[in-house]
Amino acid sequence: MQKKLLLLSTLCATLTLAGESGGSFDQSKFIPDISLIMDTSFVSRNVSNTDLEKSAPTSNYGEYGTFKEFNTNNGFNLNYAELAMHSNVDQAFELDGIFHHSTEGVEIEEAYFTTKALPYSLKVKGGKFKSDFGRLNSQHAHVWDFADAPLVYNSFLSPEGINAPGVQFQWLAPTPWYMKLGFEAMQKGNGGTFANDFDKKDGEALYVGYLKNSFDIKDASLLLGVSYANGVSNIEDAESAAAIYKGNSEVYGADLSIKNYFNSYSFINWQSELLRRDMISDDVTIGEDKKQSGYYTQLIYQMDENWKAGLRYEDFLQDSYGAKTTVNASYKTSEFAQLRLQYSYDETFKMYGNKKAIDEIILQLTFAIGAHGAHSF
Amino acid sequence: MKKYIFALLFLLPLTLFANLSVAVTYPYIGALTKAIGADKVDTVVLAKGNWDPHFIVPRPSLIAKVRDADALIMNGGQLEIGWLPPLIERASNPKIATTAKTFLDLSRHVELLQKPTSVDRSGGDVHPEGNPHFHLDPNNILILAGTIKEFLISIDSQNSAVYEKNYAQFSDMWNKKLNTWKSKMADKNALKVVQYHNVMAYFNHAYGLTSIATIEPLPGIPPSSKHTMELIELIKKESPCCILHDVYHDTKTAEFISEKSGIKVVIMPHDVGALDTIEDLVSLFDYLTSAIK
Repeated sequence: MQKKLLLLSTLCATLTLAGESGGSFDQSKFIPDISLIMDTSFVSRNVSNTDLEKSAPTSNYGEYGTFKEFNTNNGFNLNYAELAMHSNVDQAFELDGIFHHSTEGVEIEEAYFTTKALPYSLKVKGGKFKSDFGRLNSQHAHVWDFADAPLVYNSFLSPEGINAPGVQFQWLAPTPWYMKLGFEAMQKGNGGTFANDFDKKDGEALYVGYLKNSFDIKDASLLLGVSYANGVSNIEDAESAAAIYKGNSEVYGADLSIKNYFNSYSFINWQSELLRRDMISDDVTIGEDKKQSGYYTQLIYQMDENWKAGLRYEDFLQDSYGAKTTVNASYKTSEFAQLRLQYSYDETFKMYGNKKAIDEIILQLTFAIGAHGAHSF
Repeated sequence: MKKYIFALLFLLPLTLFANLSVAVTYPYIGALTKAIGADKVDTVVLAKGNWDPHFIVPRPSLIAKVRDADALIMNGGQLEIGWLPPLIERASNPKIATTAKTFLDLSRHVELLQKPTSVDRSGGDVHPEGNPHFHLDPNNILILAGTIKEFLISIDSQNSAVYEKNYAQFSDMWNKKLNTWKSKMADKNALKVVQYHNVMAYFNHAYGLTSIATIEPLPGIPPSSKHTMELIELIKKESPCCILHDVYHDTKTAEFISEKSGIKVVIMPHDVGALDTIEDLVSLFDYLTSAIK
């Protein structure tokens, strides 16, 4: 009910603004930039939906058995319809709102202010937002190079990534190259490694810090980043609600990408990330210490304005049953519509206690309408 | 306390003599800013002249370039919409905010051609404010130089005499060149041309050339075989002189059309640095006014 009200109120607000146009008190020029992004897919895999729900990925530590946020069902899926709004509030602030609509309801994916007039290359963001941890966490699904997030992100940071109410400080260092230092304090209970399902205490937060560097060598841009997150891990099993872990966790991340442009339309990008988590248990009778690392490495080749192809390999370094390999090709009819065909072979799953390789084909369509802003690098 | 005052006295002259650092989006704006600002301004050019101006890559290294800029000059008319907003947003520099008085949008100071009466994305990547390639009318270059002069004076009035003098020199030189180019292009009036994308709209407008079609079926949409075949028929009917082609798109389709229809492909550089020989604004228009034989 609340979700429906939220949807109605956002639409009403835009409609009343639009309705007054032309009058003496016309405010139609102040309508924020609005866009709608829709993502739908057809999925075919060699495992039934029920069996997939019952299977456990190798790195699973908690509630998300299928590891999936999108493309969950064999057959047709409406992954999301995302309504985004952006505008300056005044000379000091900007405001962004991203409303994630799915068949299950509406969720405020992000709603945050950003400062725009602070000196010394400083910027502050507050509200609910995606953390800038690593290379992918802050990216929205529609800019991903694959139909799904890497396993190590899903399992360590949760399928939604680190996304919680909090505050972010970023500073650009006065170096000849690009160097950004960031710190975030977020409300604990993000999910994934940092779930806070029981024994809730006030005042403890999830802390995130990162340093990002970038410089160019001829037509190639190099990006190097290190990230760190530290927070409470009080994890319950999703079905039985039994406590399965109690303690504190640290996640370390290192990312590297080399993106070389051949001309205005064609590039090759090699991107890799290694994540490590150290979970320190407060009570070994509930769950023991866990140290685990995982990585993905991917190669993306954009041939021209229409065609793009990708190859990704990912695995865990401890407790691994096998690797996952993904290939895809996408075709854009314009900047605003994309068709993608993806195949993956995933050996990281155990089904009913036995190893089970999953073959999966996804045909994904993504569309954007309205005032859709440019993507950052 | 005394120590601080001393330090301030030492530092003050440094800030007084420090040059104005102006970031500009395209090389032609850089060339104009250097002509007017000369040794009083440090110009940082973000885009390369031989790349598609619509598709500049918003590399993080460019954020570092605009981070400490005192001012930003852009072309406008939505030419930079695909790459400049994320740079401005991430640079955390209030001086380059679009609402700052140290931000200049050149498109607000010239008259844009081909302003569409209605826009819809099914018509391709249309610029709602009109065709943004206005610097390719050499007459507009003078207006732009004047706009940049006024802009530099408004943020650095101490050096206004220098900017006025440089502008006067530039406009004298440019007016002479305008006459040369005009006489060179006199016999091209009413000539029909085909283009890849309507980049040369203002050049064509200045010298009376008529662009009858583009190789792109719609603005920003790559060639299709259906449209190409129709275009070959149109060329046979209308007999334009040539295909004006930019330096950054593949000339494959243009060469195919050339082969089938018998008209030649003429490379038209759109900015300083588009070809190795185009080192400044004069050589750009010298080249363009000699290209169509």
